[in-house]
Amino acid sequence: MMTSVRGRGLVGRFWFLLTMLTTVLSVMLLVSVVSVMVAKGGAVLTWEFFSQPSRSFGAEGGIRSQIMGTLILAVGAGLISLPIALGTALYQSEYLSLRFQSVVMRLIYALNGVPTILFGLFGYLVFGLYFGLGISWLSGVLILAMMILPTLVVSIREAIESIPVQYREAGLALGMTIPQLIRTVIIPYSFHGIVTGLLLGLARATGETAAILFTATTFFGVDLPKSFNEPVTTLQTHILVLSQEAVHLSATSAVWGSALTLMVLVFCFSSGALVIRSRFGVKV
Amino acid sequence: MTPWFLGISFLISSSLAGIILVFLISGSLPIFEKYGWEFIFGEEWYVGETYGALPMIYGTTVVTGIALGIALPLGIGTAVVTSEVVGRRMRYILKSVMEIMAGVPGIVYGLLGMLLVTTWIRDLFGLVDGNCLLTAGLLLGVMILPTVMTLSEDAIHVVPNFYREQAYALGLQTHEVIIYAVLPQAIPGILGAIFLGTTRAMGETVAVMLVIGSLDRIPDPFYNLFAPAQSIASKIGREAAESIGVGLHWNALVALGLILFGMVMTLTWLAERVGWTGRLQ
Repeated sequence: MMTSVRGRGLVGRFWFLLTMLTTVLSVMLLVSVVSVMVAKGGAVLTWEFFSQPSRSFGAEGGIRSQIMGTLILAVGAGLISLPIALGTALYQSEYLSLRFQSVVMRLIYALNGVPTILFGLFGYLVFGLYFGLGISWLSGVLILAMMILPTLVVSIREAIESIPVQYREAGLALGMTIPQLIRTVIIPYSFHGIVTGLLLGLARATGETAAILFTATTFFGVDLPKSFNEPVTTLQTHILVLSQEAVHLSATSAVWGSALTLMVLVFCFSSGALVIRSRFGVKV
Repeated sequence: MTPWFLGISFLISSSLAGIILVFLISGSLPIFEKYGWEFIFGEEWYVGETYGALPMIYGTTVVTGIALGIALPLGIGTAVVTSEVVGRRMRYILKSVMEIMAGVPGIVYGLLGMLLVTTWIRDLFGLVDGNCLLTAGLLLGVMILPTVMTLSEDAIHVVPNFYREQAYALGLQTHEVIIYAVLPQAIPGILGAIFLGTTRAMGETVAVMLVIGSLDRIPDPFYNLFAPAQSIASKIGREAAESIGVGLHWNALVALGLILFGMVMTLTWLAERVGWTGRLQ
């Protein structure tokens, strides 16, 4: 450490400048990501773009089926994942010893760490081939449900853990059984965590491409699936295919529009989660 | 809501990671039986002839390294400023921006890379083609920046004020307080953030796939970041659909997946060892 106060002051100023520079750079990088997307994609976002199916290789029409497809997969995954995640979190906190809880959380974190493409490989074989679902939206929903499960479990558990112990004790003192306690105390007081988890999960599922790339989606020729083993077309696939193969200028601008739409969808879910989380006093 | 339902969901979610591991191991057995270590250290990948994973392992490692080179200084610097320098309001704004930006889908970065960044890199360095390791690394760096930042910020922010007050009382200046009193306390959490960011970069598929050039070869010389290459995730993403779930090609892809799984799980384990608090975002 430098001894002269003056020298230390100089070091301090340099240090301050350096960290400020990193902050400004980071913020600029992220702001430019958003502004490029808005600048490139904003112009094509009209009502027709959202309400019409895509025609002639993405060059004409809109992205109605793509938006529907993305939402079908994400919402389906959320619906399947939510009860399982809730059950897991409740079982852990109400029926397991602390020691065993931490073992289980490690397994959940491990699942969270699994790269999404591996869920795709797994789902392709298990859901697609063994269960005979083929390349279908149902495979996609199941894969995404697995993928977002840890997000939901962790969020719900955080909320359950933050319930004051007096509430729990009051319930038990009234002679409640654990299922009664869950119904009347645990779920009502951790409801914000359940909603937050669901929204975060939806955000993750909405933005996911790799896991559903070769398991659930197709580029062309579907509007809404009519049976369980039909694929859907999604914004993610649309962007992926068109960004590599678009030849028309209008197709390129449609890609930017689709990407902006996707980003806004994800932002809606994640900012919803953020708002609920900060309202319920969980630190941001 | 009866307990048996809770028990079943509990069993499902706690066994999924294990099931995936079993799937990866059993799916990659034929490849390891046939090639053994040759699979990991082999440099050639020709479908139907020979399978070697080294170029993909190399690509994943290098791309992740570049990403960390960008995300660590920027992310940790920003985290320090957010937690220690700016006021409450500004902190709230910065944190919210980062949390929201952490969710930007990989495909968005892929598109930005494909249609813009590759051309910039090409023109900036006078290359023939901008699809290279550097482009992929840059994009990943920006992608994981918010995650690294917000998790490190958490770690710095939870250091009790007590330490700051003591350091100030000893006559340290603000930067010294941060460097000598606050950061040492926050290091476990920051390391956790780094490991978690690393796993995200390693596993990312589409953002890399679109810009890395998809050439299964270790560049010559190996430190040439302007050469096209291939990462594990992008390789699987490119070829999974063609391999239709049977045969050696499929086994080779699953084996690649097993290697990636091993890399990521090691990091997750390390993150838990150093005291990562368990936040996912």
